[in-house]
Amino acid sequence: MDSLPNSFTTELRRGTLTLAVLSQLHTPQYGYSLVQRLEEAGIAIEQSTLYPLLRRLEKQKLVTSSWDTTESRPRKYYLLSGHGTEVYRQLKREWKKMTLELKPLLKGADEVEFD
Amino acid sequence: MKLNLIDVYVYEVTKRLPQKTRDDIALELRSAIEDTLPERPAEEEVKAALSKLGDPALLAASYRDTPAYLIGPNVYDAYIQTLKLVIPWAIFVTIFIHIAESIVSFSGAETTLFVAIKTFSTIIASVIMVLIQVLFWFTLVFCVIERAGAIKGGHRLITSKTFWTPDDLKNIDMIPKKKAISNGEVVFGFVWTIAWGLVYFNADHLVGIYRSEGSGELQFVMPIFNQGTLQSFWLIIVAFILLDLGLALYKGASKKWTMRLAYVNAVIHGLGLVAFVVIASDPNLMNGAIIPYMAELLETTSSSVTQAIEWIWRLVAAGFVVSTIMEIIDSYRKARM
Repeated sequence: MDSLPNSFTTELRRGTLTLAVLSQLHTPQYGYSLVQRLEEAGIAIEQSTLYPLLRRLEKQKLVTSSWDTTESRPRKYYLLSGHGTEVYRQLKREWKKMTLELKPLLKGADEVEFD
Repeated sequence: MKLNLIDVYVYEVTKRLPQKTRDDIALELRSAIEDTLPERPAEEEVKAALSKLGDPALLAASYRDTPAYLIGPNVYDAYIQTLKLVIPWAIFVTIFIHIAESIVSFSGAETTLFVAIKTFSTIIASVIMVLIQVLFWFTLVFCVIERAGAIKGGHRLITSKTFWTPDDLKNIDMIPKKKAISNGEVVFGFVWTIAWGLVYFNADHLVGIYRSEGSGELQFVMPIFNQGTLQSFWLIIVAFILLDLGLALYKGASKKWTMRLAYVNAVIHGLGLVAFVVIASDPNLMNGAIIPYMAELLETTSSSVTQAIEWIWRLVAAGFVVSTIMEIIDSYRKARM
């Protein structure tokens, strides 16, 4: 296995992970439901990455958390805060801009490749 | 049993975390693990779920947000620069103190050669100790800065107070490597001068003829020079020691060869050459007892020993003149570059 493209892929994914997680927190989610939602969308995320990430986002005040103890087992729900919503919007805009900028660059490279 | 496995796993993670976050993470982690499992899970299922979460130590590490390094990129530059500044001085001060101590505490009970060897070995040991101390304390201080900075959100620690602008470039003096005077050179110059001064004033029990005794010890037979004659030039020698130390300081401050420095260097070393010739040509410089002793030892006549010594003197003087002139030319060449 070639490790260099692998490590680039990991780096790319890490950058988009925050965006992916924030995008799913408009409604309250607990850890495992978030894993499932992301997996359904095709984004594989390690649980061991997600749980610490959620705590970090909470510490950065992008999400708020609350314990739900009404069901048989207690669950910690995460939800975007006002600040988090704002940051998510900015990040989304940035992401769209970046993909638009990259598109012609990558297209050019493809044409050269297929010549 | 199955629940136990989860408990142990959670314990393995949380024991590596700060006290105040443990309970919350434990609760969250346990519910997250149970979420992935059916109502009454088999042991195999529990094991599968746990192996998906991976090594508890790694999971704990990703929960922790204190850095997993002592000195990070934010303070690394400042750390290295500080060490580069401090270490040469630490070495220099250590050497200086030990040499000064040896001079002050010299009683004459032991030969100077013995004291010199003893001082040299204690200097090496002390320098190593001092380096360890310096490295430890500065690393400790920078670790604290690193941690404190990490809490604040990590601005790069820079050694200058203000932000960089292109105008700063105007104040920077680019020193070509060939022109530069290293700190090591300056420190060596200092130690070298002091050491020679020490030798000069203690020549009567240091510079002489040694004979190895049966036990392997060196026995001092007689000095080569008349200490009285050497001592009579004390004013010149002290003046040159001070001039040389001053020159070393000047070189250290200048950090590169300039025409003025080369000129001062030439004057001091040129005068040194004159002084050497004056002292060396004093007829009473040599210990008179040495000639018959050598003649007897080498089974030859006194006159041929005298002749040989005169030749040695000429060679030493010529070597001294040539090396001084070459040093002066070299300094001018560097200053002109």
